[in-house]
Amino acid sequence: MKIDRGQLTNQVSRLKAAGFDYLVKITAVDYVDHLEVLYFVRDIAASKDEILEVTVAPSDAWVPTIMDFHLSADWYERELAEMFGITVKGRATARLFLEKWDGADPPLRKSFVWDAQYRTRDVKK
Amino acid sequence: MLQDLLSVNLSIPFWLSSPSPLYEFIAIVLYVIIVSIIFSVFGYVMGWLERKLIARAQYRHGPTYVGMWGIFQNMADLIKLLSKRDVIPQRADRVLFAVSLPLLLALSIFVILLLPYSPGLQATSLGFGMLIVFTIIAFLPLLLFTAGFSSGNKFSGISAQRSVLILLSYEIPTLLVIASVGLMANGYNLQSIVSGQHIYYALLMPIGFIVFFIAMLAEFERPPFDLREADSELIAGWLTDVSAPYYALALFLDYARMFLGSVLIAILFLGGWSGPAILPPLFWLILKAFIIAIFVIMVRATAFRMRADRVLRFGWAWLIPLALINLVITYLVFVG
Amino acid sequence: MSVTRINVGPIHPSTHGVIRLVVDVDGDTIVNVEPHAGFLHRGVEKLAETRMYMQIPPYTEKLDYVAPMSYDEAYVAAVEAAMGIEVNEKAKYVRTVLLELQRIASHLLGLGTLCNDIGQMFTVFMWTFKDRDIVLDLLQEATGSRMFYVNMRLGGMHAELPPDFAEHAYNTMNYIEKRVSQYETYVEKNTAFMERMRGIGVLSSEDAKALGVAGPVLRASGVNYDARKHSPYYMYDKFHFNPKVMLTGDNFARYKVRMLEMKESVRIVKAALKAMPEGSCLGMPVKLRSPNPVNRTVSVSRELPRGECMMYLVADPQKPYRLSIRSPNMVNLAAIGHIAKGARFADLFGILGTLDIIMGCVDR
Repeated sequence: MKIDRGQLTNQVSRLKAAGFDYLVKITAVDYVDHLEVLYFVRDIAASKDEILEVTVAPSDAWVPTIMDFHLSADWYERELAEMFGITVKGRATARLFLEKWDGADPPLRKSFVWDAQYRTRDVKK
Repeated sequence: MLQDLLSVNLSIPFWLSSPSPLYEFIAIVLYVIIVSIIFSVFGYVMGWLERKLIARAQYRHGPTYVGMWGIFQNMADLIKLLSKRDVIPQRADRVLFAVSLPLLLALSIFVILLLPYSPGLQATSLGFGMLIVFTIIAFLPLLLFTAGFSSGNKFSGISAQRSVLILLSYEIPTLLVIASVGLMANGYNLQSIVSGQHIYYALLMPIGFIVFFIAMLAEFERPPFDLREADSELIAGWLTDVSAPYYALALFLDYARMFLGSVLIAILFLGGWSGPAILPPLFWLILKAFIIAIFVIMVRATAFRMRADRVLRFGWAWLIPLALINLVITYLVFVG
Repeated sequence: MSVTRINVGPIHPSTHGVIRLVVDVDGDTIVNVEPHAGFLHRGVEKLAETRMYMQIPPYTEKLDYVAPMSYDEAYVAAVEAAMGIEVNEKAKYVRTVLLELQRIASHLLGLGTLCNDIGQMFTVFMWTFKDRDIVLDLLQEATGSRMFYVNMRLGGMHAELPPDFAEHAYNTMNYIEKRVSQYETYVEKNTAFMERMRGIGVLSSEDAKALGVAGPVLRASGVNYDARKHSPYYMYDKFHFNPKVMLTGDNFARYKVRMLEMKESVRIVKAALKAMPEGSCLGMPVKLRSPNPVNRTVSVSRELPRGECMMYLVADPQKPYRLSIRSPNMVNLAAIGHIAKGARFADLFGILGTLDIIMGCVDR
């Protein structure tokens, strides 16, 4: 289900009331011209899955938090922020997901060139 | 020859009366050497046997390479430990850290030297010998406490707290059981306790025996009461920061305490050195201690560690009442 | 009383890999646990974007080094779904058998480490390790490897099962069944074990759903969800598979679910061996060029020994555009702060043992 990020919290709470009370995963895909944030929620009793797709622009990458509805979103949102550089608004600032990562360049973006990045990192130290 | 050597009469308290200074000196040196040999050999064999037995319980072979059946493995480990550098952490209280472990070992060996090993082989035959022994043993948890806190490590700190916990819950039943042993033997002389056991006290007061055995396990950090060293929680407890030579001391201490505990149980409850006269009395004492130690090792191989609060509850809800009951029964049946 | 902060790990005897737990304790009671992950991060998801499809299974396998084949299969299943490849009939049976064997091996190790964590002197650990070795012998017969198998191919398997595999597996399953009952007796009759298990680390079913825990942890809290039942794959629906559910949600329930699952796995393996059809189970040989995907995005759910893994694959020709792995261990670890709150410090490790976390999978 493709939705706008403004509707995200509404949709998540509506789905939760409808029985989709188990968050399977939050992930994102970088399609270069846009980022797609995916929310997999599940109705365990009926074993149905629902996927919410939120499209954001790379220059204006933020989504609202859904931690009010799903506690398990915590780590996924931290991962989102660190790996994709997508700011999650409305929640307390969280520690980075990984320990030793400065978070300057989101590694799962397609623009991330890892050979060069690591080499410069080594040289600096 | 051994018989002759062991029947040297040393039973006169050597600091009280001295027939001749030379005799006194030789007696002390001889006694210390003999007892040291006994407990070193015992400790070494137990250390090897512990590894072997636990390995057997776990479908393993244990040490096999160094010497026959790996008998010299512990020696190799000792050399390795002694050849390594000792590290005292910066945050530690250096003096306490360096002193507590040697002091613990020294006290344990002191108690070992105070014990009688056969009618002739004894440093002193004081009327309150058993009380002295247990007074010094009661100091050991205190030293563990300082050893734990001196390293400044939080895991060691928790371990030190737990050692107070054990002090609180296991000293009392130990002393109550000792009191009933004293009632039975009509005094606290270790010699007369052994000679008074025509029937083993373990049979006359089985409750006391079990309570004492459990309390000794707790006292000397054997599983399931190894809260102070609980490796899955506290890394190594009060030994977390202890490195090479000190760790060798700690291992040594472990077997010294094991020897002490086994010999104490054998003396107080299993008739000490009494046994058929085909073999010297010392042999029977060591054999009994050996059997107890093997049992302790098998407990280690199979038991699950108890949680700190459970240990406290077990001590107060079971051991202390049982020890009291034992005392009352002993009084009513055998004395009153 | 004041709160003490204790740093458990990254080097600690019972951290199941490298994890750091910052534990705040008030006396002996845990106030807060904050897990720090990331010590084993290898960037598998990024790595997958630079490799051809069939170069990736060795990477995904190493996520969960205790049950590698399960991850291998989850990834290959995602690729098969993207390319529209149907697994051949015999390979379905073979995969069912091997995955369940892997589950048994994994749960056996989990039981051993659990006993270690709550203070057993490695005895149960060595016993279960020996039995796990016997299961690994079977897997070695079937795949040629003991640890990392890489035996899944598109549409089937890398090699046929050896002719006497069924007989060996059948005998081994009888043995494992007997052993599992023995373990149950050994630990459940032990008061010290039960004291550390019953009523400790309770996770209610509402909390379990809210925290999104997976696999045995979820089922131990009374939530009846198992991907093998609810989105059936291979032969699971044929053997009347039922998820094992416990209601109490404490340490004991989590331990018990695994024991019951092992017995269920034994049953499934036996049934699958009996019903195994004739024919070949070989899949497509590995070539650098694989068929072009027919579906752009697929998500495949698989019930791994430690919980449900969801592989989300955005497929390009020859290479994944994006591979996203939902790690069951990560959600289970994230829940530890909630589960351990109010427990004793010593019980933290029992809870960690019953969550049975593999850090390679948490960090990816």
